[in-house]
Amino acid sequence: MLSPLQISSYLAFAIFVIVVLWKFVKYATMPIHLRWELYPVPHEPEHEHGGSFFEHQNIWQLERKHDKLNELKEMLEEMLFIKRMFQNKRDLWYVSWPFHAGVYLILIWLALLFIRAVLVVAGIQGLVPIADVLIKIAGAIGVIAATLGCLGLLIKRVGNWELREYSAGVEIFNLLFALAVLLTGLFAWIKFDPNFDIAKEYMLSLVTFGSKPMPSLPNPILIHLILLELLFIYIPFTKIAHYVGKYYTFHAVLWEDAINKPGSEVEKKVKRCLQFRTSWSAPHIAGRTWAEEAKNPKLDVIERWKP
Amino acid sequence: MTKEVRIKDIGKPSKQLIKLRLEDLMKLPPPYDKPGEEPEMTEPKEEWRERYITELDGYIAIDVPFEKPKTKEEEQRLIQRFLEGLKKLLDKENNWTFLQPLLLSLEFCAKCQTCNDACPIYLASGKKEIYRPTYRSEVLRRIWKRYLTPAGKVFGKFVSGDIELNWYTIARLAELAYRCTLCRRCTQVCPIGVDNGLIAHEIRKLFSQEMGVAPKALHELGTVQHLKVGSSTALTPEGFKDIIEFIEDDIKERTGKNIKIPVDEKGADILLIHNAGEYLSWPENPAAFAIIFEEAGISWTLSSELVGYDAVNYGVWYDDVQLARIAMKHVEVARKLDVNRIVVGECGHAHKALCVVADRVLADEYNIPRESCMPVLWDIVRKKKLNLDPEKNNFPVTLHDPCNMVRLMGVVEPQRKILREICPQFREMEPHGVYNYCCGGGSGFAIMTSMNFPEWRNKVATRMKFKQILNAFKDCIDPSIKKYVCAPCSNCKGAIRDMLDHYQATMKCGIYYGGLVELMVNAMVDIEEPFIEMF
Repeated sequence: MLSPLQISSYLAFAIFVIVVLWKFVKYATMPIHLRWELYPVPHEPEHEHGGSFFEHQNIWQLERKHDKLNELKEMLEEMLFIKRMFQNKRDLWYVSWPFHAGVYLILIWLALLFIRAVLVVAGIQGLVPIADVLIKIAGAIGVIAATLGCLGLLIKRVGNWELREYSAGVEIFNLLFALAVLLTGLFAWIKFDPNFDIAKEYMLSLVTFGSKPMPSLPNPILIHLILLELLFIYIPFTKIAHYVGKYYTFHAVLWEDAINKPGSEVEKKVKRCLQFRTSWSAPHIAGRTWAEEAKNPKLDVIERWKP
Repeated sequence: MTKEVRIKDIGKPSKQLIKLRLEDLMKLPPPYDKPGEEPEMTEPKEEWRERYITELDGYIAIDVPFEKPKTKEEEQRLIQRFLEGLKKLLDKENNWTFLQPLLLSLEFCAKCQTCNDACPIYLASGKKEIYRPTYRSEVLRRIWKRYLTPAGKVFGKFVSGDIELNWYTIARLAELAYRCTLCRRCTQVCPIGVDNGLIAHEIRKLFSQEMGVAPKALHELGTVQHLKVGSSTALTPEGFKDIIEFIEDDIKERTGKNIKIPVDEKGADILLIHNAGEYLSWPENPAAFAIIFEEAGISWTLSSELVGYDAVNYGVWYDDVQLARIAMKHVEVARKLDVNRIVVGECGHAHKALCVVADRVLADEYNIPRESCMPVLWDIVRKKKLNLDPEKNNFPVTLHDPCNMVRLMGVVEPQRKILREICPQFREMEPHGVYNYCCGGGSGFAIMTSMNFPEWRNKVATRMKFKQILNAFKDCIDPSIKKYVCAPCSNCKGAIRDMLDHYQATMKCGIYYGGLVELMVNAMVDIEEPFIEMF
């Protein structure tokens, strides 16, 4: 029999996954946009100096080569180390990177808890001690780094004029919320669960859909767990889920340089978009499809703007 | 620390949000490090305040008279119109062209301010708040959140931040969209890839495509004139043919070469399209191209057809519909001439507009290869099709990288390889290549000359470039040493011309400017007289 807490854990996780996926789908299904890449583009073979295939003649005959390895390197440097912030905003990086690295470790910790539970259920006991060690390392470093980073981010966000001025209340709230989850987690770990045994048991109960008993949870852990579930539900609806955006800004905009050759997929998409109808109100636009607007210009102008 | 201007102040009723002062601007290197070395700043005329938007910083980019509402109802109509436009920017059919990049940039900015110090305008202004790359973006983001998202409607300023949408906000935002050169240096450093340049571009589109409001130099005298008359310079096909004859005579006089410039020759390999500004302001540039292409035996032609002799496409700066229209005309001309490819001359934004951005508005018979002139020129030098003597260019030369050609298109090395071959005293600016600074004339600023806008451009937008040029020549800043800024872009040349004039840098420092092909012809062994004149 599943407890309400267990059911809420499944629900929080499911909402998180579904909404994040929905966000990915939302951006993935948007129409093709005009090319807007920005160099250096790391998959270009001449990325060292920021060069592109336009440095060559007869580009349609060129065999395009992509340095996928360098793109992966650039991507990992940005994901794992926030390279651009390290290079251009070091003071903020000192708190932002520990926070992000800590969160990554906590996610790894969660994954390890899951894997450990699967190992136990599958009877692969030999690997469980290794998982135990990794769980301890990832959990401990993760929660400390993320908490310190989050605290630092909050202090920066509130204490620094240029960060505070540009933040809405919700952006401060996001940090406070994350900090609340982290602090309760830190407290629960130090005071009640130094080896993450309760966490392991709880995960096992989730993986076995309640056939393994849920451990009894001290109140601070219960509070932490509820807050964590709420955070999981909250994240995808907020800018904390900027990892979705980051994927698309780089891969679908800044590094997206596919040529529109006759008969290509790009051309097919462009042709579909050219059939969209405009409804802009300026006098030089006539409310026709993009293709019609482009071929037969209307060229009226206003002499003066009147409200 | 409190700053003088806050985001919500964009809607504050006041005569002028900020006032620029010379002493606040970024300091320049010698000999401009002493007071009195550059002209003072001026006040906008009172009559301008009546007709135009001077409520931002006193400078006027939008030279279409913009009436202030006289009643609350009129102001409400303006607000509604603005919000309608914003909705269309976020609509698939009306803005498929940039919907995805725009939404990404609106939704995911972490407000970490990593981008600020990448912006030459923000730095050159002495870090004036309104020029911070995130300022205008945040204003638009707050309006979007507050007025058009469910969360903003329910939770108000808790999620959107403090913003009021009124005449002041809208009018100032219109002007503020023209305080960014769209160089996108800020985007290069953003950890999330948020594009503040794009947001400025989209605000411009909102005003142009929804309200018909854009600087005359870009719209009425720009794209509209281009499509009606044939060129944004007002050059007609007949005028173009006359200029070609003049250039042929000039080539004969200066070099002794009898060159018949091919015009409207069907079946050539290349249709070369120049920025028509070259024919009027720097005819030596198309002349140099003609000399080089003929000497190298290139199969090429120019076009005398409407639009076909002017590569510019100002639509790329402010209006996607106009962008598409001009791009279509360009390829239509190429199609009629049955050329293999279009090659764009020394014009940065024309490079980007035709080769990159407009790549996705062309289909079927309109889809023709479009390329940069730089690899063509490098190929000519590399294969030694010209007899060149670098000693003829033995003076200090530095290279300005046009943003559109370099950072936004990745054409970085061919022009450098040429300069390394033919200019013994070539030196780079710092930073350079894809990390260059804009000339300050980007996104239309070079051609926007109404009222006091050139003063803002010279004082603020080009200041960083001027600093870079001075630093590149600091070992030879004496005016007796003639120096050359190679700017392979018409608009950059225009901005640098005005900059050198404003700071009297040719007189004070011996700095001259010009294109790349002029240096190539200047190095040709069989041309006796210098092709580049520096005196």
